[in-house]
Amino acid sequence: MRKVLSRSNTIQPISLIIEYIGILKFVVSDFKGALGITLLIIPTVMALFPGLIAPYDPWIPTGKPFEPPSFSHPLGTNDVGQDIFSELVYGARISLLVGVASALLTVLIGLTLGVLAGYRGGVLDELIMAITDVMLLLPALPLMALLAVFLGPGYQNIVIIIALFSWPPVARMIRAQTLSVKENLYVEAARAIGASSLRIILKYIIPQLTPMLIAHTVLRVSGAMIAEASLSFLGLGDPRAKSWGSMIYWAQRSGAITAEAFWWILAPGIMITITVLGLGLIGYKLEEWANPRLRR
Amino acid sequence: MSLIRFLVRKITSRVLVFYLLLTLTFIIPRLMPGGAFAYLIENPNVTPEMREALIKAYGLDQPLYVQYYIFLRKLLLDGDLGVSYTYKRPVLDVILEALPWTLALVTTSIILSFAIGVPLGVWLAFNRASRTGVSVSGLLFITRSIPGFWLGLLMLIIFGYYMGVAPLYGAYTYGVTYSNLYEWLADVISHMWLPILTLVLLILPFPAIYTRNAVVDVIEEDFVKTAKAKGLPETMVMLKHALRPASLPIVTLFALELGTSVGGALLIEIVFSLPGMGKLFYDSIYTSDYPLLLGIVIFVSAVTLALITTVEILYAIIDPRVRIR
Repeated sequence: MRKVLSRSNTIQPISLIIEYIGILKFVVSDFKGALGITLLIIPTVMALFPGLIAPYDPWIPTGKPFEPPSFSHPLGTNDVGQDIFSELVYGARISLLVGVASALLTVLIGLTLGVLAGYRGGVLDELIMAITDVMLLLPALPLMALLAVFLGPGYQNIVIIIALFSWPPVARMIRAQTLSVKENLYVEAARAIGASSLRIILKYIIPQLTPMLIAHTVLRVSGAMIAEASLSFLGLGDPRAKSWGSMIYWAQRSGAITAEAFWWILAPGIMITITVLGLGLIGYKLEEWANPRLRR
Repeated sequence: MSLIRFLVRKITSRVLVFYLLLTLTFIIPRLMPGGAFAYLIENPNVTPEMREALIKAYGLDQPLYVQYYIFLRKLLLDGDLGVSYTYKRPVLDVILEALPWTLALVTTSIILSFAIGVPLGVWLAFNRASRTGVSVSGLLFITRSIPGFWLGLLMLIIFGYYMGVAPLYGAYTYGVTYSNLYEWLADVISHMWLPILTLVLLILPFPAIYTRNAVVDVIEEDFVKTAKAKGLPETMVMLKHALRPASLPIVTLFALELGTSVGGALLIEIVFSLPGMGKLFYDSIYTSDYPLLLGIVIFVSAVTLALITTVEILYAIIDPRVRIR
């Protein structure tokens, strides 16, 4: 499977689809992967079609404050009478979007720095690795929160902040992979016929890393979702949008525990856990697909 | 490499990291629209007289490099982190009162997690095919997917609210005078066991899964087979022969895990309303108390760096192989 992805430079759309069906088949080939896909169906459907699932607009009060779960409000209402189930459904989109965007940016930064360090070597390599080590030493959460405070609210900022503090492990992994791919004879051959560094990196090195990149992007989404939830819980989310993390923040802030409105706290946390677990299961399965040595 | 050379190199590099961090905390507030003025003085708690004093004290009407010099000199020579807007007291004093709670929570939890997690990982490696082994691994995997602060809320609802076996907030009973130290300790433990349990549950999967994988890697090696063939007891084989080769990466993990657990502990403190750094952090964000916020970030990072470096140095003293590199 790995070969197919890197073989031709002009991949036909149809062969690409067959390729992805192949990956999907591998992921669902055992219990863990199949469970991962199943868990992920719920939040994905919520994020794609919130209007079809949610009974109300999550911003409009449709009941009395702190109503317990009932037929008209499956998860009850919050302190201003908004329907919690509808909040949950609409929150899926923000939570997933922030997670996916941060993961993509994280992998992009990690890929660029990792390939540069691994391919170029020398002083540049040492510099990039030194920065990576420093980033791994510092406690990320307080620094992310500090940046969030000073950059101001807004999910674009949250995405950038999460990516800024999540790339080091990706860069390390990519650097190690680049070092081994670089030794292949075809890379040497390309260099011998005078291919530029950029061409070698884009045509011969990155395609070899693609399977690993896909796996790590999926795993990064779950990490980013936890980070987003933590920042939102500190009150640093976007007040104009509802994410699962900010729902927990407002629940805690409005005294949901003393009001015994446990469903308000529990529901978004369960959604985050389901999504992160699903992504984790799929991510590790994809890692096995990318690196067959991990299959035992 | 000699131990002294190792120590000098390690400590200089960590001091450099700390200096880098200080520079970051100087730059970040100045990224804000409006620059340094906005962050220091646009606060409802700041009176016009205080504003004048602040501008003078921080040299805010002077060029950036002068501000940077003042910032470093105040911090490093006078240990001056400024005055908290809300507490109206030096930030350093406020932080030093809260720090012991956080340190106690973090160190207790992480030591317990590794004390339980490492043996559990070895056990998981030897029982990786059994039904219980697989279920425990699965459980650890699920725990790792739960947001830490939410697990704290869940524990609070279950143990504090439904079962009533833990208090809902605080690290001690308010307004109580203790006749002796043991009474105080008993009260604190009755409050702290739930936050510690939560944090242990959150950290535990990392040493357990890591140890499991490391031991699985050596389990098929000849020396482990030989040890088994000699008829050594199972626990002896596990601990002396299978775990020892994995001990170095586990110590490295321990050191790095300190950094992440500090962040987790801050959130757990907020959930359980403990009087530590987490609560200060939360309040400083909520009230825009910037000197306090910056002070906490600097202090938390410094403490983390110091803890990590101490663990690494202690291990280098015990195991000379670490000093190479």
